[in-house]
Amino acid sequence: MRTGIARLDLLLRRRGTIGYALGMAVYVFVIVALYPTFKNDASLNQLTEGGSTVAALVGATGSLTSPAGWLNANIYANFLPLVVLLLTIGYGASAIAGQDEDGTLGLIVTLPLSRRRILTQKAMTLVAVAVPAGLATVLAVLAGRGFGLSPGTGHLIGATTGATLLGIDFGALALLVGALSGSRAIALGVTSSLAAASYLVSSLAPVTHWVRPLRFESLFYWAVGNAQLRTGLSVTSAAVLVGFAAVTLGAAVKAFERQDVH
Amino acid sequence: MTAAVVAVDGLTRRFGSRRGVTDVSFEVQAGEVFGFLGPNGAGKSTTIRLLLGMYRADSGTMSVLGHDPARDAVAMHRRVGYLPGEMALYPRLTGAQHLAAFTRARRTVDHALRDDLVERFEVELDRPVRTLSKGNRQKIGLVLAFMHRPELLILDEPTSGLDPLLQDEFARLVRETTAGGRTVFLSSHELDEVQRLADQVAIIREGRIVVTDTIEGLRRAAPRTIVFRFDGDADAARFTAIDGTEVTDVQAHSVAVSVSGPLAPVLRVAADLEAVDVTARPADLDELFLRYYRDDRREARI
Repeated sequence: MRTGIARLDLLLRRRGTIGYALGMAVYVFVIVALYPTFKNDASLNQLTEGGSTVAALVGATGSLTSPAGWLNANIYANFLPLVVLLLTIGYGASAIAGQDEDGTLGLIVTLPLSRRRILTQKAMTLVAVAVPAGLATVLAVLAGRGFGLSPGTGHLIGATTGATLLGIDFGALALLVGALSGSRAIALGVTSSLAAASYLVSSLAPVTHWVRPLRFESLFYWAVGNAQLRTGLSVTSAAVLVGFAAVTLGAAVKAFERQDVH
Repeated sequence: MTAAVVAVDGLTRRFGSRRGVTDVSFEVQAGEVFGFLGPNGAGKSTTIRLLLGMYRADSGTMSVLGHDPARDAVAMHRRVGYLPGEMALYPRLTGAQHLAAFTRARRTVDHALRDDLVERFEVELDRPVRTLSKGNRQKIGLVLAFMHRPELLILDEPTSGLDPLLQDEFARLVRETTAGGRTVFLSSHELDEVQRLADQVAIIREGRIVVTDTIEGLRRAAPRTIVFRFDGDADAARFTAIDGTEVTDVQAHSVAVSVSGPLAPVLRVAADLEAVDVTARPADLDELFLRYYRDDRREARI
C-alpha cells in the first residue's frame, strides 16, 4: 500500500503531534504525582456530592479520591479528550478543506491516485495524529505507579482507546464537513460545536435528569463518559465509536470524489 | 492523422450566472505547443481544472490522452504533468522535501531528469519554501511538473515570476519537450510568451473561445496599419466605406488606415486619390489580441 500522502501529511503535523504528546506526558505525570496529597482528602469528594452540576461541567462526577475517579476527573473526562480533539479536528479540517484553500490539494489530486486512496491515506494520518497523546498518557500513568495510583492496566488502555477513537470520530467528521463545504473554518466550527455539545451531554447526564436520556447520542459518553476507567471500554462502546468513524469516512470519500479542488 | 492528445467539445461549467466556461471546444495535436490565451478571469484555469478532473463538468465531452478525466483520472494523471497557476507549496517544507514526497507518490519519476532540471533552473532545495521568492517556488513547480517525463504538460501561466534568463531556459525546455513528440498545453495572459512558443492558439474571453488558429493564421488575419500621404487634403471617408477597413488617423496630408480585410480595394481608393507615398507596418498581433479581448462581436472561427 502506498503511504506517500499519509507520510507527507504526517510530516506537516509532526511538530504539533509530538508537542502535545510531550505536554500530555508532563501534565499526566504531575497529576499522578499529586495523587498521594489528595487521596485521603475527604473534602474533595464534597465537590461532587449531591450531584453538583458545576463539578459535572468540568468533568468531575462521583468519587474523586479513588484512583479511577482521580484520573477521570483530571484527565480522562476533560483534558485528554480535549487535547486529542484539538489535534484531530485540526487535522481533519486542514486535510481536505484547509489544503484546498491553501492551494496544495491541487498538486495531490493530480497525482496518479484515486480520491478514495488519497482519503484513505489521510484517514491513516488521522489515526497517527490521534494516538500519541493517549499513548503518552498511558505511559505517564504507568510510570507513576509508585505514587499509589494504580487503576487496572486493561481499563486504563480501554479508556485511552476510547478517548483516541473519540478523536478519530470527530476528526473524520471534520474531514467530511471539510469535503462537503470546502471550507476549513466551517469544518472547524461545525465539528467543534458538535464536540462541545457532545461533551456537555455526556458530562451533565449523570446529574441532570432531562439530559440523561440524550447520553446515547453523545460520542463522549461512549468514549469516556461511562466509567470506562473502572469498567473498561465495552464492546458496544468500541463498536459505536469504530462504526461512527467508518460511516463518516465512507461519506467523506463520497463527498471528496464530488468536490471541486482548486 | 493521429487522434488528438486533447479533444474538448461543448465543455460547460458554470459557477453562478457569470463565472465559468461555456461551450468550450478545441483540439490539441501531438507534438505541438498549444497556447491558451485570455485575460485574467477569462476561464483559463477553470478549463485546465476540468481537463485534469479537478472540477466536474456540467456538460460537454473531454478526452485527454484518450482518457475521460471524469472516469479515468488516475491513468490520465500518470501521463500528465501539471503546473498550477498559483504555485502553492507547503510553507514549512524545503524544496528537497517536496521533491522527495512527490517522487515517492509518483513512483515513475526519472531521477536523472529531475536532478538535471534542478541544476538547470538552479532550484533552491535547502530552504523552507515560505522563505523563497515567487520565482523560486515556480521553479520547484516546474520540476514537479516535468520530472516524470509526462506525455502531456499542462502549464498554467508557467513563466510568471521567472526572470528573463529563466524564461529563455523554460522556452528551451518546452521546445525540447515537443521535439521529442510530447505535447504542451500552455495558458498565458501574455501574448509574447505564446507567440514565442505556440503553434496553435485559442483565445478565451468571458468563458467562451473567441478564436482558434495557428500563430501564422492569426498573423494573416491581424490588422495592418497603412499610412498614405497626399499632396493636398484627401477625402478619408472614402476609406471608411471599404469593408474591413478603419480610418485610425487623419492629418493634413496623410491618412492612416487599419486593414483587416483584403488590400486591393484600399490600394485602388488610394490610387484614385493620387497618393504620393505609402508606409505599411507589419501585421500587429498585439492589436488583434486586444481586439479579441475587448470585442466579442466578432464570430469565432474554429
